[in-house]
Amino acid sequence: MKNYLKNLSLNKKLALFVFILGFMALFAGSPYKGTQLKVDASELAMIVQKEVDHVASEELAGWIVQGKPDYRLIDLRDEKDFTEYHIPTAENITMTSLDASQLSRNEKIVFYSDGGIHSAQAWFLLKANGYKGVYILRGGLEEWKYSILFPRLADNASPAEAAAFEKTKLLSTFFGGTPQVGGATETDYPKMALPKLESPTGAQPKAAAGKKKKEGC
Amino acid sequence: MNAPFFKYGLFGDDVSLVIAFIIGIGFGFFLERAGFGSSKKLAAQFYFTDLTVFKVMFTGIITAMVGVYYLSVIGFVDLSLVYLTPTFLLPQIVGGLILGVGFVVGGYCPGTSCVAASTGRIDGMVYLLGVIFGIFVFGEAFPLVSSFYETTPMGQITLPQIAGLPYGLLVFLVVLMALGGFAGAEWVEKKMAAKKARA
Repeated sequence: MKNYLKNLSLNKKLALFVFILGFMALFAGSPYKGTQLKVDASELAMIVQKEVDHVASEELAGWIVQGKPDYRLIDLRDEKDFTEYHIPTAENITMTSLDASQLSRNEKIVFYSDGGIHSAQAWFLLKANGYKGVYILRGGLEEWKYSILFPRLADNASPAEAAAFEKTKLLSTFFGGTPQVGGATETDYPKMALPKLESPTGAQPKAAAGKKKKEGC
Repeated sequence: MNAPFFKYGLFGDDVSLVIAFIIGIGFGFFLERAGFGSSKKLAAQFYFTDLTVFKVMFTGIITAMVGVYYLSVIGFVDLSLVYLTPTFLLPQIVGGLILGVGFVVGGYCPGTSCVAASTGRIDGMVYLLGVIFGIFVFGEAFPLVSSFYETTPMGQITLPQIAGLPYGLLVFLVVLMALGGFAGAEWVEKKMAAKKARA
């Protein structure tokens, strides 16, 4: 046997080797199984507890104004709501198409939905699949309306609050919102018309699918 | 550590270009060493007198297949992140035929023409110019063929999906096919050499 192996040409030895590897493949199972990720529950819980995965409306507004290119803003609502209004630069990916979407594990992804629940669920889905930079817009679109589109200065505001409001007002008009001063309660804000999608004029929204990388040979 | 490294963000776009350059140089080097800088050797495969191209390419395919398979099984490569060129059946058959005709007539495929050109062969350089001209013509004519270009889309499919067979079984079958192909190629080469000797 030893002599037989010795007398084989290199080509035949290699052929024998690949035959053995091929034969073993019959029993080695699916190549997809090795990459299933375990969810580290305590690590996820820690992230949730510390809220490091949240992005505040003001922060996101700042990124859009500066034209920061290093993240993707994903609107999880359905197409109808998306066409009606969405935060500038957002892409529309619904919950059901999330799995097949072109998000990569090395991208910074910011989710938002109406409230916070859908984006939190999408966050968990991606986290469990090994995505690293997944974030949630705190309070979702509701919060975005409150704090960016229709910010309100209370009648009894302190001078410091009034000064801060001046800054918010600038942001609000940039995004086509209407800052409110005093008076009415917050309950009547839904009646206010959402800004038209052409505005803000100053922003340069990224092309929706513009970041897809060309691959292949 | 997990692969594909680029998808896991181990390096960015610029570094990936440098790595692609290095791998490309390596690919070209081994093509040249296999004798693929010569159009005579390449065209000989179509007359069954020298099947080196078939043997080298099939060796490359099964080496990569077995490597990717086992690296995925042990969890080093995330196979779901490896890019697959989407299949458009009809246009790709037509494209394959056009490439085949060009291969017989010119004696090179696009990759080997680069190898030939870089080793100083004039026919390789002319072929390469033709490749570049062809790319230009295709680009300009694209609106005319774009509807055909996207017919019969099948998505990113793999053999195990089409055949409905377990992945490991398919790896084994392709290995058997390759080994059978090698033995058959050697047999054909011997036969053709004997025929040539008689003639």
